Amino acid sequence: MRLFFSNLKKYKGYLGYAPVSILKTEVANTYLNWLWWFLEPLLFMLTYTLVASFIFNQKIRFFPLFVFVGLNTWNYFDRCVKRGVVMMRHYKGIVTKTYVPKYIFALVQMALEGIKIAISYLLLIPMMLIWKVPLTWHILECIPLFLVLLIISFAGCTIMLHFGVFISDLEKTVQVILRLIFYLTGIFYDIGANKRLAKEHPFAQTLLMKVNPVACIMNGLRNCLLYGDDPEKTVDWLWVGIWAVIGLLLCTLGIHLIHKYEAGYAKVS
Amino acid sequence: MDDLELMKNAQAAVPDEAPPVRYEYEAEAEPALIITDLHIIYRTIQSQTIFKAIFKKGSQIKKFEAVKGISFTVKKGEIVGLIGKNGSGKSTLLRAVANIFKPDSGSIDTCGNTVSLMAIGVGFQKELSGKENIYLSGMLLGYSREYVESRYDEIVEFSELGDFINAPVGTYSSGMYSKLAFSITAILESDIILVDEVLSVGDINFKKKSFARLKEMIDQEDKTVLIVSHNNDTIRNLCNRAIWIHNGVFKMDGDANTVVDAYEVFMEAEAEKKRLAKKKEAAAIKG
Repeated sequence: MRLFFSNLKKYKGYLGYAPVSILKTEVANTYLNWLWWFLEPLLFMLTYTLVASFIFNQKIRFFPLFVFVGLNTWNYFDRCVKRGVVMMRHYKGIVTKTYVPKYIFALVQMALEGIKIAISYLLLIPMMLIWKVPLTWHILECIPLFLVLLIISFAGCTIMLHFGVFISDLEKTVQVILRLIFYLTGIFYDIGANKRLAKEHPFAQTLLMKVNPVACIMNGLRNCLLYGDDPEKTVDWLWVGIWAVIGLLLCTLGIHLIHKYEAGYAKVS
Repeated sequence: MDDLELMKNAQAAVPDEAPPVRYEYEAEAEPALIITDLHIIYRTIQSQTIFKAIFKKGSQIKKFEAVKGISFTVKKGEIVGLIGKNGSGKSTLLRAVANIFKPDSGSIDTCGNTVSLMAIGVGFQKELSGKENIYLSGMLLGYSREYVESRYDEIVEFSELGDFINAPVGTYSSGMYSKLAFSITAILESDIILVDEVLSVGDINFKKKSFARLKEMIDQEDKTVLIVSHNNDTIRNLCNRAIWIHNGVFKMDGDANTVVDAYEVFMEAEAEKKRLAKKKEAAAIKG
């Protein structure tokens, strides 16, 4: 881990410059430029709200914001993990010519997605005011929750980065698994409020809410940002803590795998 | 051992069994690079499907030892040419010095010097502009943003890309791509410069300019340079020492002209052997 932190220091210039350059290029290549960073989550929020409210008759308080928070949280994790799988293929030109600790690319991706999610959350502020969401001190609880999201995403990204080099069809497999988790995470429905599930399959409900780290963090974020006035809707700190510890262990594993095997990545055909 | 004797040795000996000829290293000279008993095993890892990864027993890794126990020391300010036929391990050795490949055993000590590898097509992110790639490549090579900024105009001027510097690298022709790659490593100097076959980049004028720039860098006394080239004249003109590697094994080390002479004689003998073998084969088929 000492090597990891010394590399972070060494490549801090690259880590600061690369995400901004990539974002600028993404912006330059589209007609609506940076507006897409607001439009994309907004349009998806409207789509899911429309489908869930009118077709599935969802009656959740601040439902559009409920979807918005869920979608942004999921997108961050999903993009980091998916990109991790193809990371070495994308940077092949660089890794065969220059030595770079490979997790630096994972961090660039996380910073890139981090800027996008930060912009999306800026949009949440006026939306909270329009929907008259009660502002409580619980909003501050989102900081440790975002931190755990970063840890879990980095772990997923580095581990996928390693295995993505050696397993050719991992990309498709991960896409299918992530799509399954997407529907089980409760982006546009509330797992905890599902009475039938609570009555017939209480264990499955606990499993879906707690054993899935993204669902656990997502519920925490919704509860602290949108439902701070509801004493029944609190952050499950025990499980968030458990996921923070597991996440850190998985990060250590990811970094260890990269340190041990990265010299061979350039040689994979 | 005089030159003629070296040449005879090279011609007569079976390559893998010939005793290596060592360069007499001045013990008091300050070393810039110490390579000790270096072994690099090239593992060609075939990426596989999940099904195979789980159910198929046995390794998917094919091993090939590209560098077999090479040791040498380069003193500060020396210009060393690495020669040898294709697949002899020269580029692998350079990449190991540049820390792209880790040694399987043995050690590489760069004595605290910064190292940069000049190779055709330094890795670029194709969707980004030439300008952004200059900054990113510079920072990946370990330079600060301020330093890259201070040399930016020089890089652009050297690359002759003009306004194309703001276009995405993916739209460049292969010549433009290589010019930019060469310019970055040529202008952002490091203590040890590793040159891997980059002197054939661009048009005739750019080739001349590249050669002149390399010569200028080499003429600085504190620069240590390792050059891989199949152009023997380049080695003779630029290097004061040459190391001949054959099939991953250290073969000969000494004055550039002497080693290149021996290498040329050996290669001619090899070509002659091949010609004779082909003739015999053709005669056998006819007969």
